[in-house]
Amino acid sequence: MENALIEQLGINWKLFVSQMVNFFILLGVLTFFVYKPLIKVIKNRNEKIKEGLEKAKEAEIRLSEVDNISKEKIKKAEQESIQIIKATETKAKELEAVLQKKAEDRQKDLMAQVEQNYKKQQEEAKQMVLKDAGELVKKAIIKTVELNPDQIDEALVKKAISELKNS
Amino acid sequence: MEEISLKAQELFQIGGFSVTNSLFLTLLASIVLVSFAVLIRRKITIVPGKLQSFAEMGIEGLLDLMDSTLGSREKAERYFPLIATIFIFIMTSNLLGIFPGVGSLMAERGHHEIPLLRSPAADLNFTLAFAVVSVIVTNILGMAAVGVFAHIGKFINFKDPISFFIGILELISEVAKIISLSFRLFGNVFAGEVLLTIIFSLVPYIVPLPFLFLEVFVGMIQAFIFAMITLVSISLHTATHGH
Repeated sequence: MENALIEQLGINWKLFVSQMVNFFILLGVLTFFVYKPLIKVIKNRNEKIKEGLEKAKEAEIRLSEVDNISKEKIKKAEQESIQIIKATETKAKELEAVLQKKAEDRQKDLMAQVEQNYKKQQEEAKQMVLKDAGELVKKAIIKTVELNPDQIDEALVKKAISELKNS
Repeated sequence: MEEISLKAQELFQIGGFSVTNSLFLTLLASIVLVSFAVLIRRKITIVPGKLQSFAEMGIEGLLDLMDSTLGSREKAERYFPLIATIFIFIMTSNLLGIFPGVGSLMAERGHHEIPLLRSPAADLNFTLAFAVVSVIVTNILGMAAVGVFAHIGKFINFKDPISFFIGILELISEVAKIISLSFRLFGNVFAGEVLLTIIFSLVPYIVPLPFLFLEVFVGMIQAFIFAMITLVSISLHTATHGH
């Protein structure tokens, strides 16, 4: 009866085994040619995507850090520049004062020098005038003497006598 | 109308081995799948083409489904080839079974004509082979996952009468699973084939179209059910205590 049922249903152990073998061959072929390579590709791609996302996140963090650093540096540079400007201004003022003092001293020196020169020149001029006057007097006397020395002597004697009398 | 036969008909013999019309279509389905496999393998790149994208989409979808059932991506990837092959092979066989020419192309055999091609799942040898493979492999995977003695202990347990009785029931359920898996698939596909044969013989034009769509749907659903039952069976057999 069992055999009749099996025969009626068409169950044949050879066909049954061949279907099984066929399935396992196909399982092997599909695993080797499709599943493993494709799963590997999918995994690689997912890893790359994950890696890319992580790198993007990292880059974003670094960018924000760099941004913060640049902001800090700009702030620091601004502060430093302000300090430098202040220091320069102070130095400039000090230098200005020093230069002003120097100029004043120089002016004083120059004035003194000019005064000295003026006095010297005045003295020299005076000397020259005196010298010229002496020469002129001398020449005048010579001229006078050359004209009538006796009259002059007489006049001078008379003047001297009158002065003596008066005294 | 052609004669409806419950069993596949023999087309020819090779060294005493009879090649039936359903085995013939099984081989054709295998050739189609192997061709696709080779085609995909040759075109695998990191940036996928249309065919690779389609294959990847299917793989990702099935892996996600398996992941949700098994509770682990690693387990899903480990058992993926078995489940995917069961699903793809049964679906391809079922869809090829409703192709034009299947059931209508006839071959001379003795004094009468027989269909050259027959849907593989309309042969009990095919469904029974898949059911036996499913049950045996799930039990082997169970043994590998929880240990041989722990797995056998589910069926043969002498701790107490209740455990012993449950073990016997588990054993019977495994045998019943073979019968239910094989006869469900066989019944659905064979019934579809009979239905289409009758409809085509009664009204050959337009009317069979909805039935063809129904058979496409049934073919895919049955493949999915078979694969899912195998998957659930794997999930139950490979679950360790606490999972």
